[in-house]
Amino acid sequence: MEECFLEIKDLKKSFGTGEARQDVLRGMDFTVKKGEFCVLLGPSGSGKSTLLNIIGGIDTPDSGYVSINGDKLEEMNESQLTMYRRKHLGYVFQMYNLIPNLNVKENIEVGAYLSDNPLDVEEVISTLGLQDHKYKYPNQLSGGQQQRVSIGRAVVKNPDILMCDEPTGALDYKTSKEILALIEDCNKKFGNTVIMVTHNEAIKNMADHVIKLRDGVVRHNDINENKISAFELEW
Amino acid sequence: MKNPLIKRVPRELKSDWHKYLVIIVFMVVMIGVISGMYVGHDSMLAAVYEGRETLNLEDGHFELSKRASQSLLDDLSVGEMADVRQYYIDKGMKEADKEVAKAIEENLTEEVNNAIEEAVRAQCAAYGITDEEMIKAQVDAAIEENFDEAMKEARESDEFKKAVEEAYDEAHEEVTKTVNEEWDEVADRYSLNVTDFKPVPMTIYEHFYREEAEDYNNDGTEDANIRIYKSDSTIDMASFNEGRAPKLDTEIAIDRMHASNVGVKIGDKITVGGKEFEVVGLLSYANYLTLHEHNTDLMFDSFGFDVAMVTPEAFKRLTSRIHYNYAYQYETKPEDKVEQADYSERFLKALITQSLVHDNEIDDYLPEYLRQATNFAVSDIEGDSAATAILCYILIGVIAFIFAITISNTIDKEASVIGTLRASGYSKSELVVHYMTMPLIVTILGAIIGNVLGYTVFKDIAVNLYYESYSLPSCHAVWSNTAIIKTTVIPLILMFFINLYIIIKKLQLSPLRFLRHDLAKTKRTKARRLPRWSFLRRFRLRILFQNMPNYMVLAFGVIFIELMMCFAFGLPDSLNHYADNATSMMFTEYQYMLMDYRDDDGNVIETKEATAEKFSMKSLLYPKKKSTMRTGMGSGGDESVTVYGIADGSEYIKLGGTAGEGEVYVSSAFAKKFDLKTGDSITLNEEYENKSYSFKVAGEVEYDGSIAVFMPKENFDKAFNKKADEFSGFFSHHEITDIDEQSIATVITAEDITKVTTQLDHSLGGIIDIFKYALVILAAALIYLLAKIIIERNEHSISMVKILGFKNGEIGALYIVPTAIVVTIVAIIGFVAGYYLMLWIFKAFMMQMDGYFAFYLKPVSAVLSVVYLLVGYLFVSAIDYIRIKHIPMDVALKNVE
Repeated sequence: MEECFLEIKDLKKSFGTGEARQDVLRGMDFTVKKGEFCVLLGPSGSGKSTLLNIIGGIDTPDSGYVSINGDKLEEMNESQLTMYRRKHLGYVFQMYNLIPNLNVKENIEVGAYLSDNPLDVEEVISTLGLQDHKYKYPNQLSGGQQQRVSIGRAVVKNPDILMCDEPTGALDYKTSKEILALIEDCNKKFGNTVIMVTHNEAIKNMADHVIKLRDGVVRHNDINENKISAFELEW
Repeated sequence: MKNPLIKRVPRELKSDWHKYLVIIVFMVVMIGVISGMYVGHDSMLAAVYEGRETLNLEDGHFELSKRASQSLLDDLSVGEMADVRQYYIDKGMKEADKEVAKAIEENLTEEVNNAIEEAVRAQCAAYGITDEEMIKAQVDAAIEENFDEAMKEARESDEFKKAVEEAYDEAHEEVTKTVNEEWDEVADRYSLNVTDFKPVPMTIYEHFYREEAEDYNNDGTEDANIRIYKSDSTIDMASFNEGRAPKLDTEIAIDRMHASNVGVKIGDKITVGGKEFEVVGLLSYANYLTLHEHNTDLMFDSFGFDVAMVTPEAFKRLTSRIHYNYAYQYETKPEDKVEQADYSERFLKALITQSLVHDNEIDDYLPEYLRQATNFAVSDIEGDSAATAILCYILIGVIAFIFAITISNTIDKEASVIGTLRASGYSKSELVVHYMTMPLIVTILGAIIGNVLGYTVFKDIAVNLYYESYSLPSCHAVWSNTAIIKTTVIPLILMFFINLYIIIKKLQLSPLRFLRHDLAKTKRTKARRLPRWSFLRRFRLRILFQNMPNYMVLAFGVIFIELMMCFAFGLPDSLNHYADNATSMMFTEYQYMLMDYRDDDGNVIETKEATAEKFSMKSLLYPKKKSTMRTGMGSGGDESVTVYGIADGSEYIKLGGTAGEGEVYVSSAFAKKFDLKTGDSITLNEEYENKSYSFKVAGEVEYDGSIAVFMPKENFDKAFNKKADEFSGFFSHHEITDIDEQSIATVITAEDITKVTTQLDHSLGGIIDIFKYALVILAAALIYLLAKIIIERNEHSISMVKILGFKNGEIGALYIVPTAIVVTIVAIIGFVAGYYLMLWIFKAFMMQMDGYFAFYLKPVSAVLSVVYLLVGYLFVSAIDYIRIKHIPMDVALKNVE
């Protein structure tokens, strides 16, 4: 793995004013290496989703900066940020947010369209185990299958960073493990850096890098030397 | 790689086909009708303009009291003004010389006779003769013998020569003085004192006509007045829609529209001027596109008036008086209205002066650009195009807003997808393009299908609509650039910008806010407080507030449709009201206008009819502001006002008070048309003289029949310098039989009043009903689209309340009642606004026209115009209820898209 692909420096963010002011991020510092599987762990309100959104360029910090490959996001204007997301990021959300009147293959093509260097759509479908469902519409799929499509839409871009916001939050135990295994596979196979936000402590065991957040600051920043595969996870 | 989002478009069309079908049908009909109107209009106008060239339309005409001499025609062709002053001086000198010579001769004769008599009497006295008879005999004998010699001597005397010279000088001086005085007045009246007069050279054509009684069903009674021209005329020629020009002296060709209205066909026999003719052609004269009998008529009359063509020989055989009408064409065509007006003014000066010096009189003069019969139809067609286009744009605007609301609703629904796409790197412009695709596709589809229908089906409808009203030449479809621009380009632009604005505004939010479904522009910190009503009422009110933008568009659409509804109900109502009240729009059953108040022998015309009452009448002009509405309709000049002098204690016109000198009562039509009130001052002008009369309005006479003012006859005589025994005609309850027909100019009956409404009813009758039903469908379609959006938006809540145990009926009451309330309220508001707008439009239109015609709406029509719309809404409600019933409960439970 290369050194310092993503750098977070003294990141602060608050919402509201006066008495209602709430400091969500209170000076956060860490770095992530390229190809790393990084898990941001913390309870509700610890600022992990806000942090992910700032890294994804869809939210802005009050101070501090995010730098990817040496490019600071705060120096980018709106269209540069759009290009940054387009070329470097893949997003997976807790809710799958698929386009209802496009089928599985087409939903994945929505991601491929954005990339200059997309992966082969059929190959991604096959990796995701969706060959038998590729002409189905989202409302004909189970939650797990929809999340697979959502992952497919993100990884087909061949992004530098795969951002996952509680990807298993709405799924059952078994399906969650399958989805995590899939993300793990993609990380290995396509070499994307993965930043995953979760409140599930067990998931930290499959990560290379575990950052624990609480009250808007980094409490632990650990490299996991003994990571296990997603299927071995238990919770 | 193609943007995969494109694939959504056909699927969206397919899945929501009924919504898009309604919108497309709506647009196809709108665009089709307007395109049809334009193609119809352009084709029609092309045919009319072509006809003006090929059929040699006049630039104007004048009618003289007798046939013009060749020298008059020659002088008029040059266009120069005659030196009227010199003409009068020469004429006056000649007459004065004659008078002076006569006076001198008489004077001299008397003086010579007196001198001889004096000499004889002196001689007799010297001889002592006193017998007077003898003296007279001597005087006569002396005169007989010496008169010539004495006269000769007297004539040769210096004294006489001097006296004669003085008398001639004095007479000439008097003539010049009088002519100069008179000339100054005349010249001032007609602005003839111009130093830099530029003549308008022209070609003049003899275009005589006769007016005869037409009896088209040969039952012995007059059915119409027919104006007959000769078939060899080379000006204002006719095109034949059917048949041919007459070749035999027993053949006639008549106006197509008139023939169609009264049911005369080719081959039929009609009686004209007591002679039978076979109809061999149905024609359209270049100068009679509408059958306006007089240029000041409020409306043309294709039932009671006709124009025809016969052979020159047949024309000779007719017996009514020949109207010495001359048409002219300028050598250089005027380029615009301003130049037309300038040419016609200059020519009028030449005409007035030349006809005077050639001892002729002008009976009529009308430049073509002011002629209703040629311009009314063209102006109406052009005006209709403009009005239809405005209606079309308003409706397309409404559709664009419906689209915008639909899209805005879709964006709300797809907020998380949009958030994800934006987070994944889709740019705002890519999404704007995506959401703009559908409205543009629908508009293009609507425009293509609409235009195809416009060039085929709707064009014929438009053409037929005008063929039913006007005597237009045959036409063939021409390519209309205007149609393409107005029916394709403008709707596309409208649709594009309205949607672009709303979509850009909507997509302005950050991806994060889309992901969080946080789309409200302004955040209310607290929910709107509502009165302590029942839960269900408050629930409904919340629905109303939540869907405010939809209801705003709905209100706009419904108000617009109600405006149209007011027109659709009000026009036939106004026509019927006018026709029903025609008798009350007359002072009495018979109103006789006399040629003169004295008969040929100089005796004042009297009648034994007990109910007859004399009145005096005069026509003056009331200055009218130039209207910005359609030009070409109406006589184009000031309002013609009939001034009545009424007998004291008149049985027919009650003045309702006394009128002092300089005070008049105005007819209610006059008061309404020009907003006159008691105490106002009005100034009326003479048409061809520079004379004005000012009056104070003392009150109003309830009379909508015409623009008129009334005053006691005594005041009338004083104001207009009339003799006490002068009068213009009789009002009478019964027919007057003891006045020579030659002395009667016209008799006004109810039919004269109702001919306007008969014509309008015929022209518009059928189309108005279709228009009403089209409006109901339009209203239903509009409400359907907006109500659908409201229900779709609330699908989740509807599903949820179903789960909670609400029955379909209750849910229907929750979601349908707010729409019903809004529709009803805005329909009523729309109706009231429509009613007042129609009053205003009618009035503005009437300012352009001559005469007065008030807007009237029956109370039942007022109710119906709202009820019709509500009936349309009832159907939509039924569909909405079914839609609510079919919303499944799992919508609220599903987390999937």
